[in-house]
Amino acid sequence: MDEVKIGVFICNCGDTISKSVDLLDIRARLEKLADVALVSIGHDLCSPQAQQAIRKDIIDNGINRVVIAACSPQLYGDALANLVEKAGLNRHLLSVANIREQCSWVHPDKDKATKKAMVQIRMAVDKVRLQDVVEQAEVEVYKDVLVIGGGIVGMEVAIELSNLNLRTTLIEKEANLGGRLKQFAALYPLQVTPEEMLTSRLKQVTGSENIDALTSAGLKDLSGEVGNFTAKIRKGNEEISRNFGAIILATGYETLFLDKVYGFELGDNIITQSQLEGMLKSPGEIKKIPQSVGFVFDICDEHSRISTPSTLRNALVIKERFGSEVYVLCRNLQVDGAGLEKLYQDVRNKGVIFFKFERFPKVLRENGKINIQVEDLSMAREQVMLSCDLLVVEEKVVPHQDFATLESMLNIGLGPRDFYQEDNVHLYPTSSTKSGIFFAGNCHQDLDLGRALTDASNAASEAYQLISSGKMRVEVERVVVDPDKCALCLTCLRFCPHDAIRIDYEKKTAHILDLACQGCGICAAVCPAKAIKFKDWSDDQILAELEVV
Amino acid sequence: MVNKSVLVLGGGIAGVASSLRLAVNGFKVYLVEREPTIGGAALFFCCKATEACNQCSVCLVPEKIAEVKAQPQISLLTNSQVAEISGQVGDFSVRLIQRPRFVDPEKCTACGVCAELCPSQPNKAIYLPSPQALPYAYAIDKNNCLHFNGVECNICSQECPFGAIDFDRSPEKIELSVDAIIIATGFDVFNAKEKGCLGYGRYTNVLTGLDLERKFSTQGSITLPSSGKAPQNVAFIQCVGSRDVHIGNGYCSQICCKYAMRFAKLLQYQHPETKITIFYMDLQTAGKGFGEFYQQCKETIRFVRGIPVEISEISPDELEVKYEDFIEGKVAKEIFDLVILSVGITPRKDSSNIARILGINLGEWGFFDTQDHLDSTETNVEGIFVAGTCHGPKDIPESIAHGAQAASKVIQTLAARGI
Ligand SMILES: Cc1cc2nc3c(=O)[nH]c(=O)nc-3n(C[C@H](O)[C@H](O)[C@H](O)COP(=O)(O)OP(=O)(O)OC[C@H]3O[C@@H](n4cnc5c(N)ncnc54)[C@H](O)[C@@H]3O)c2cc1C
Ligand SMILES: Cc1cc2nc3c(=O)[nH]c(=O)nc-3n(C[C@H](O)[C@H](O)[C@H](O)COP(=O)(O)OP(=O)(O)OC[C@H]3O[C@@H](n4cnc5c(N)ncnc54)[C@H](O)[C@@H]3O)c2cc1C
Ligand code: SF4
Ligand code: SF4
Repeated sequence: MDEVKIGVFICNCGDTISKSVDLLDIRARLEKLADVALVSIGHDLCSPQAQQAIRKDIIDNGINRVVIAACSPQLYGDALANLVEKAGLNRHLLSVANIREQCSWVHPDKDKATKKAMVQIRMAVDKVRLQDVVEQAEVEVYKDVLVIGGGIVGMEVAIELSNLNLRTTLIEKEANLGGRLKQFAALYPLQVTPEEMLTSRLKQVTGSENIDALTSAGLKDLSGEVGNFTAKIRKGNEEISRNFGAIILATGYETLFLDKVYGFELGDNIITQSQLEGMLKSPGEIKKIPQSVGFVFDICDEHSRISTPSTLRNALVIKERFGSEVYVLCRNLQVDGAGLEKLYQDVRNKGVIFFKFERFPKVLRENGKINIQVEDLSMAREQVMLSCDLLVVEEKVVPHQDFATLESMLNIGLGPRDFYQEDNVHLYPTSSTKSGIFFAGNCHQDLDLGRALTDASNAASEAYQLISSGKMRVEVERVVVDPDKCALCLTCLRFCPHDAIRIDYEKKTAHILDLACQGCGICAAVCPAKAIKFKDWSDDQILAELEVV
Repeated sequence: MVNKSVLVLGGGIAGVASSLRLAVNGFKVYLVEREPTIGGAALFFCCKATEACNQCSVCLVPEKIAEVKAQPQISLLTNSQVAEISGQVGDFSVRLIQRPRFVDPEKCTACGVCAELCPSQPNKAIYLPSPQALPYAYAIDKNNCLHFNGVECNICSQECPFGAIDFDRSPEKIELSVDAIIIATGFDVFNAKEKGCLGYGRYTNVLTGLDLERKFSTQGSITLPSSGKAPQNVAFIQCVGSRDVHIGNGYCSQICCKYAMRFAKLLQYQHPETKITIFYMDLQTAGKGFGEFYQQCKETIRFVRGIPVEISEISPDELEVKYEDFIEGKVAKEIFDLVILSVGITPRKDSSNIARILGINLGEWGFFDTQDHLDSTETNVEGIFVAGTCHGPKDIPESIAHGAQAASKVIQTLAARGI
């Protein structure tokens, strides 16, 4: 190996670093360290001018290892690596010390902060000395997307992708597209009917050359990784095999009635919201017009986004169609959606009466009537007895019955309330833990339709961004398994959250899929045989860092 | 690289999200912002983490601003406003007016020498809009600046080590031609003084949620404005300026229940003995993970259904809150030492002006309207889209998602028209 020449570039970050860290003192001490060929302090290293200067410094001084001491690498890590690359070095010959968030911003005492920053920078210096080159390569990826679930959200995803000129295969397990929306009598906001929404989208799906919609179809098997998935799709007796660059799950949810939670059973004029939808949709089913109807929710699913809009609009439909007395009993109305407060006011003005309870009301069946005893909070907690011909209860939102098979086929996990779990709800709200697999709509969050469509659009454009060029850049063998040490214990396989590890039984070793690996480091940490090495976070590098502390 | 350009009007988190989505897909973006920095309202908000992150999303703002900084496809035009727009999708001509900043952001390194020397009192006239500002440069506020108010002061321009200050700048006209436009002009916070009976602006210890955001983000904690002591007994009043047709705001602001609960937890985290009561109509607890957070809140926070109608100040430290006690069936009075009004989101005062310039419609409450309620980004003018809270209340993640959606619709619309 050539002589190691380390360049250290320190940012004062508009004085927010230099205010509490003595950079001149640090420079003087760093200059004495072995292999350190250059130490430079600059303003705002993220600015184009400063970056130009660093590049020049690297080239002019023959620097072959770079340390940058600045803000969190979360913010500019990529940009800094690009900079090093532009100066002709491999992007992994860089180590970043975060002396802003982890030091100057949080330690007002200048002496102590300076001491700590010095330690942080020395750690980076000792680490970068041992870092290895990781090459990048460009691989071809398929520009086709598989969309699973042909509800309104799955259709929207396919349409948007088609508008963006990507081909999609849309698979729906039922005989018809449309999902839950097919069952609804009305929708909020009330300006559009479910039929109108579905018809307009169906027309676009069937009219698009980019969309191949397969109904009565399901996923049978999936292999490969991002950019290059192979899916076996079963349609009737047929089995179709296709390649995809990305997959979007839009499998929605099912609803269940939980009699254990309610303490009573369905039947005898107690029905679920879904059953009511069906009745309102085909009026023939209504044998006798109910004189009085009660709605109750917030019992098995207190934080649902769906109970409020569906109750409000159905209350309105009943009031307008039959003129019945209508009562709504709940804890909280979830009116935080477009137009919902307005709908609530309209429903109240039409004469629907609301009871907000703290304690669950008692429901008694008597002579074909349903009596509900509820505390009226607006009347000093007086017990009120309501009598209804029909009681409509909320259902719990649950994952699809075949959820478990999809989950294991795709190797993705479930989060709170059993929705699919995103990688990071905040930063990547539509990404799964597995690269190239995205979520859209109600399979990963409890959403009303407006929000679900926004989500659909986001999932589509994330997938587009990932594969539309037909190529992906990948780090080649950044993480490697030493076949001599690997004991095939499969620990790494079980721990990898991104499903990036495969076993090669012929060579008797685990190996890591470069495209799928997200560099989290868990495998290297759990491997009992210490067979897994990160080229830029190897054990010897970390030990070298620890030596400094 | 595609050869198309888009104007994004408003550099809040929604406009930023639109710009980023367009830029990564190769579009040229002009991000036009009225203020000297992008970031919008949430740039001045605080992290509401206790021992755990409480998912308020405020940290997404600097995160996204950093992405803009690293994105060469985005041209920032701060201090700028739209004067005129003509043309149609694929060929809009836009005339902007850029007010002078008097500090050249290319030269300014934010060293802060100028602000130290600025003699203007009580507020310095030259300031850094935020530690996360972009452009990361000082700006001069003409109203506070002595130079512009008849005094011969040139201190900053003489002392700036980088020669970045120039008083002799006048507004500039900028002409752009773009293929599409995204409007992301955001919201105004409800002015709590409109609810006179709650005493905001009259009583020292009545604050708003916005005041809390600012205080926590600058000082890291909150004390009683009257005495500087830690608050002991705090009331939050929800729905101030929201869910109220009488004042023309017949909608839920969607953010105030969540920020109130997060602030309440944060207050108790810093002062575990502080008692907190939240007065509410309906609690908005939907959203991933929030239900679980609410269950924790219930353990230490008292929730009372009903919105107080009146507050009186007994002494600066004693605020008497009058509310309807449904349990006892009578009007109750209770003393608190701090009252927080959970103010919500309202349309921008100048939104009708923007609507007129662009020829787009306003909806019932004054937010920008969209064509079809279930395509929430397309306006009545083809090629003009809306993003974020200028279309209606949204929190930060929803504003980001909506911004990205608008951007994706732009890409799709231009592709469909072969532009
Ligand atoms: C009772 C009720 C009332 C509602 N009322 C309103 C309202 O008034 N306003 C509003 O905005 N929102 C309302 N919603 C919410 C709204 O229905 C949803 O936002 C929307 O339907 C979600 O669409 P989706 O495509 O995600 O899910 P779905 O409509 O459930 O579609 C999912 C599709 O995926 C298919 N699928 C599932 N698993 C597989 C698999 N393994 N392989 C292939 N296909 C699969 C299913 O068959 C289905 O067709 C209501 C919901 C309910 C339950
Ligand atoms: C008190 C309070 C607390 C909140 N707390 C939270 C929280 O904890 N978590 C959360 O998720 N959300 C919170 N929110 C909501 C959050 O502030 C918004 O979701 C978010 O700021 C909306 O972003 P935006 O881009 O739509 O609008 P804005 O942030 O308002 O940005 C709009 C931008 O456009 C610019 N602009 C306006 N008009 C023009 C024009 N004519 N020309 C050029 N530029 C223009 C403005 O200067 C501004 O920079 C809170 C809101 C309030 C009121
Ligand atoms: S989401 Fe909010 S609470 Fe969590 S870290 Fe970010 S700013 Fe802090
Ligand atoms: S979010 Fe809560 S406080 Fe805000 S308007 Fe809606 S119900 Fe009222």
